[in-house]
Amino acid sequence: MIFAHGFGCDQNMWRFVAPEFEDDFKVVLFDHVGAGGSDLSAYDKSKYSSLHGYADDLVEIGRDLNLEDAVFVGHSVSAMIGLLASLKAPGLFGRMVLVGPSPRYIDDGEYVGGFTEKQIAELLEFLEDNHMGWSAAMAPSIMGNPDRPELGEELTNSFCRTDPEIAKAFARVTFTSDNRNDLSKVTIPTLILQCSEDIIASETVGKFVRSQIPGSEIVFLEATGHCPNLSAPAEVVSAIRAYV
Amino acid sequence: MSDLLPTNEYRDLFDNAPCGYLTMGPDGRITKVNATLTAWTGVHADGFIGRRLHQFLNMAGRIYYETHIAPLLRMQGFFNEFALDFETAAGERLPVIANASERRDADGSLLLTAVVVIKATDRRRYERELVESRLQLQKGLATERETAELRDQFIAVLGHDLRNPLAAISAGARILQRSGALQEHKHLRVLDMINTTVTRMSDLIDDVLDFARGRLGSGIVLNRDATQPLEPILEQVVDELRTSSPERMIETSFDIAEPVNCDRARLGQLLSNLVGNALTHGAPDRPVRVGAETEGGELRLWVANAGEPIPASAMERLFEPFFRGDVRDSRQGLGLGLHIASQIAQAHGGRIDVTSTAEETRFVFKMPLATAAS
Repeated sequence: MIFAHGFGCDQNMWRFVAPEFEDDFKVVLFDHVGAGGSDLSAYDKSKYSSLHGYADDLVEIGRDLNLEDAVFVGHSVSAMIGLLASLKAPGLFGRMVLVGPSPRYIDDGEYVGGFTEKQIAELLEFLEDNHMGWSAAMAPSIMGNPDRPELGEELTNSFCRTDPEIAKAFARVTFTSDNRNDLSKVTIPTLILQCSEDIIASETVGKFVRSQIPGSEIVFLEATGHCPNLSAPAEVVSAIRAYV
Repeated sequence: MSDLLPTNEYRDLFDNAPCGYLTMGPDGRITKVNATLTAWTGVHADGFIGRRLHQFLNMAGRIYYETHIAPLLRMQGFFNEFALDFETAAGERLPVIANASERRDADGSLLLTAVVVIKATDRRRYERELVESRLQLQKGLATERETAELRDQFIAVLGHDLRNPLAAISAGARILQRSGALQEHKHLRVLDMINTTVTRMSDLIDDVLDFARGRLGSGIVLNRDATQPLEPILEQVVDELRTSSPERMIETSFDIAEPVNCDRARLGQLLSNLVGNALTHGAPDRPVRVGAETEGGELRLWVANAGEPIPASAMERLFEPFFRGDVRDSRQGLGLGLHIASQIAQAHGGRIDVTSTAEETRFVFKMPLATAAS
């Protein structure tokens, strides 16, 4: 069972959910390149200029660990990354759980993604305003040793701290992605977990995903916001458990 | 805290604090808001209660709140120093810095989250300007680098293309000389002048090309050979300079007893540049002295001249490209001679040192006799 985090933070997003499955599954957690404790020197601008670069990494992880028919649980943008990986490597995943998925964030004609292009441009600019205490000088000690408690205060914000340039690039890739045409290609059983009052991935978008992925199911959570894995882990755990 | 009614003083401290203050219940809905924040935003307290914090932010802030701030708050129990933009009732932007912390009961259940916001219009504008100016600098630097590279490429191409017409002039002069068509002394002097000028111009072009190559990264390429003697090349270089400056005295003392693993043509060029420099800047009535010897595993090649010492201010920049001292002689070149000489020295794993006193100015080039290929 492999858990993938979305845009913003790192694998700690699953800290209240993943441990619940450790008795029944081999649980795999990872940080996308550029996030959390990943090796920043592996960040390749052109590779990660589309979600396919991230999907390729996911396939690589799967191959390396000899995963077959694994359960993929992806939050936010990683829902689409996992979906792309499932198309690239048939047999890798047996089931997918997509938490707060959105195949496209920007409105397009009849399609309501929830954001305008201008708002996304503002977001990219806004990211400049919050460095989360990032400084190039501190980066090596923080990024390489996320678990070293002696770093004490420097760990503040570390779960969601990223090189500002990479954060911006990931935001751009995430919020300008369009994977609507990939949804119908999915052949494996897929569960959508839809939060209420989620401004990032609205109920309309969740229902759109459900209608496009053949045979998929959708569960509406009572949890509000975009991160039920943190705000309502018990509800998420029971929804996943009921499906796998 | 519910059974402790706040005194009026505390109520006043909360309501009229010089910062905005709000609390959110465990479900993330706003439960209390102070008067400062309602005044700043123009949103009445009733407009806050029961709603979510992100609803009062601009869209970028909402996305950021959902993807970064809310998760972080849940994971570490607080956040500090976040830049956020509130949207006021009038539709204006209210830039703030926000801190927040959770309060939990003994079982770890969330009781409330307290958020403090401080107006930061100036600070945020200042930070934005810093970011902007950094961006502008980066852009400017990139443009400058591009321009510099283009300029270097231009110099390289120009230098290369100047050679062909020069070769044509030189060939033409040779044909005239061989044909015997010119007999008059005056005409023969013109022919000599053409030849001297062609040689001089050819040297200048070589200098420019060497410089451009060095700048373009390929550097000076050496063709080392330790089996051939170096001395004849050095003699030849000095002879050429004697011919072109017949009125000047150049004394030599060469004692190269061991083989030198070097590019002989390049060391010839190095010597030519050093002697040329000495002829230009040295006292015209005193000899330029040139020497070379091998000793202690080293080649030492030196050029000394009398005359005014090099000013201390010029000493540091002597080997920089296009650096020219006092221009006294119309024959002075581009100011590349010493720069290229030092590049040749470096390519050989060696260096050039200068000493300059009232008695003597001396350039000493030293290199190891047997160096592995550089």
